[in-house]
Amino acid sequence: MAPGDVVVAEVDTVIFHDLSLYLTGRTFEQEVKGQRILHPERVVIVFDHFFAPATEEGARILQANREFARRHGLPHLFDSGTGNCHYTAIQHGFIRPGAVVVGSDSHTPVHGGLGAFATGIGNNSIAALTLPYGTAWFRVPPTIKLLLQGSLARGVTARDVAQYLVGRLGEDWAGYKAIEYAGDLLPRLDVEERLLFPLMCIDMDAKAGYIEPDEAVAAYIRQRTAQSFELVRNDPDAVYESVQTFDVEEVEPQVACPPTVGHVKPVTAVAGEPIQYAEVGGTPGGRLGDLRRLARVLDGRRVHPDVRLQVVPVTREVFRQALDEGIIAVLHDAGANIFPASSGSNQSTNMGALTAGQAMISTHTRNFPGRNGSPEARIFLASTYTVAASALKGRIADPREFLE
Amino acid sequence: MGMTLAQKVLAQTSGKPTVLPGEIVDAYPDLVMSHLASWRSIRQLEQVGVDRLYDLNRIAVVLDHRSPARTPEDAGHHQLIREFVKRHGIPVYYDVHEGIAHLVLMERGHVLPGMLILGTDSHSTIYGALGAFGTGVGFTEVTSVWLTGCVWMKVPESVRVVITGRFPPAVFGKDLMLALIGQLTANGCTYKSVEFTGDLVANLSISERMTFCNLAMELGAKCAFVPADAVTEAYLAGRAKRPYELLRPDPDAPYARQVTVDASALTPMVSCPHQVDNAKPITAVQGTRIHQAFLGSCANAKYEDLEVAAGILKGRRVHPDVRLIVTPGSREIYLQAMRSGALQTLVEAGAMLTNPGCGACAGDGGSLGDGEVCLSTANRNFLGRMGSRTSQIYLSSPATLAASAIKGVIADPREFLA
Repeated sequence: MAPGDVVVAEVDTVIFHDLSLYLTGRTFEQEVKGQRILHPERVVIVFDHFFAPATEEGARILQANREFARRHGLPHLFDSGTGNCHYTAIQHGFIRPGAVVVGSDSHTPVHGGLGAFATGIGNNSIAALTLPYGTAWFRVPPTIKLLLQGSLARGVTARDVAQYLVGRLGEDWAGYKAIEYAGDLLPRLDVEERLLFPLMCIDMDAKAGYIEPDEAVAAYIRQRTAQSFELVRNDPDAVYESVQTFDVEEVEPQVACPPTVGHVKPVTAVAGEPIQYAEVGGTPGGRLGDLRRLARVLDGRRVHPDVRLQVVPVTREVFRQALDEGIIAVLHDAGANIFPASSGSNQSTNMGALTAGQAMISTHTRNFPGRNGSPEARIFLASTYTVAASALKGRIADPREFLE
Repeated sequence: MGMTLAQKVLAQTSGKPTVLPGEIVDAYPDLVMSHLASWRSIRQLEQVGVDRLYDLNRIAVVLDHRSPARTPEDAGHHQLIREFVKRHGIPVYYDVHEGIAHLVLMERGHVLPGMLILGTDSHSTIYGALGAFGTGVGFTEVTSVWLTGCVWMKVPESVRVVITGRFPPAVFGKDLMLALIGQLTANGCTYKSVEFTGDLVANLSISERMTFCNLAMELGAKCAFVPADAVTEAYLAGRAKRPYELLRPDPDAPYARQVTVDASALTPMVSCPHQVDNAKPITAVQGTRIHQAFLGSCANAKYEDLEVAAGILKGRRVHPDVRLIVTPGSREIYLQAMRSGALQTLVEAGAMLTNPGCGACAGDGGSLGDGEVCLSTANRNFLGRMGSRTSQIYLSSPATLAASAIKGVIADPREFLA
């Protein structure tokens, strides 16, 4: 098949979080009447937004979701406290190279970093096509290749590079295209760090992001599932719409400033901006590697008294591992507040609301006005290192001074 | 005639040699605790246009309800409080990550025997665990005491609860209190000071004494005391912010009533919907299906409570149809349970571990849907307190809670703690 073709593809995994299942489930039962779910075992449900509902409405949504899962015999429901939807799906072996993964969460492309074709599609498409027929239709996107060359400078992580690309290329640069990330940077990064690139391809309006899976990915997947899979490789004569090369050596820590994810500046340009909240969590920030990086900066130091530092592990397993490694003790001693594995302050569904004039720096993925409470609050997005340094200073800070 | 503890504290704080029950005194509280409600008092100060506070050293502000903020309004109130605390230089201040106000203030040595403490929380009676007169007030009272240092109070009559015998296996302070509240009813001690005494109390840990004095509120008590003793001194060693005296009641103090409880005869107890005094022995309610189990609150989220629950859950799994929410009462408790391995055990069993604080007890999570049933270690089970008006709340000890979380139904902990 070629770019531009319309295809109907078999879907291997459908990922829901509590909010998307609620909407999709209602559409499925009220408008796609009389259908049953063709492959219940391919549906992964994770309650990560209303992880401990503070409102009756939240409780009702979770209750309706549990009942939906029971009515339709959906076996893979991960209730509150299990983790963030994407990492829970990965942790429990639902993502494999070559798989087609869909979900109505816009950051579903994250799984492209494990060699899957993964993309966000609408609730209604899932209700009408994926649930009853096990498929989804796609127009095959043209692919752009981004070659990332070189090594990262001190204090710079994949997050900074991914964010730098968004700022440099623009929020509509890759409309309905797939971005394949390659280059000699990638093999130097651990598998979970690589995921930041496809994760943030959505910020350039891409349909999907992809990294050709290697042995490191295969080993990572084998630790999580006994199911067999094939490492799908690119054809030698595959056609790319364009190939662009970026030298990452010069990239500095980057901060996405209000009001959009594409408003990216080097940390040196925004350092000194006062903040009241700092959060390490969400798909790009609550992984074991993030907690280790956070502990590295915080060890023996205290969070600034004007700042609330909130830490949200991506899964219960990550929290347990961090407990074992003594990371949680270091974070507590520094004054951090640790929350259940979830999406944390994302959309302030359950926590993380800001009032007018307040500012938060976080590892989350969105900073639109009103995303966390008041539209007059400001949200900055950055790497775990930068969030950690900022939490210590009470102001947006360059992490490099803490990473000698 | 001698004086009870309530009389002694009120005499001391109103500058009188003696006071009698029923007498009205102008007392100067040693400490005024306010939590999120502080923002209302701050606004009132703005309204009356006065900004000079009577004594900053008698003010304690702790943010425990709505921690962290889940609405912009909460975030704004927190910010208002932080700015106020900073502007005035209020020295005793703990932010949202520290835990439940009552527990934090006791752990950090701000609560001492013989003190008079007001709090914007009805379970301020808990301070009696360290021999202090603790009582709940509204925020307008707090505003007034911030400004004048003074509050009028009627000296309460006292009720003496003599506890003899020893707890059988799997029976704890919570069971005793639920049984007592069931027996005396929710207004059994209205505006009384409840003094706990007897052989069992003499050796009782501060943690269990906290549960006693906390739950005394559910008898309608004005305050409650376990008279300070060697156990109190041991707890306060290294914590107390200043010297204190071990205030004891006089042997000939007047009591309006004496109640005797034989702890040896008790069984695990459960308070059934929708009143705390609707208490029944476990055997009467076991088998009741539960959807959620909440191990938290100032009544029973202390280190000992987490240890008891972890002891039962070790090597076992929470029932798949139950959500177990664990909210350690404070950061100190969290860290202690982390070092002992209790947190690890609870998480491995499938618990959702939250940040320290009031948690689901104050509506910060764990809300219930229609028809759902929650077993909780908190101190109140009123209709609709945790969400839907068709949901139900049962109250129990941490041991009963852990046993029930495993079974998926209200279960007798004696099977696990023979």
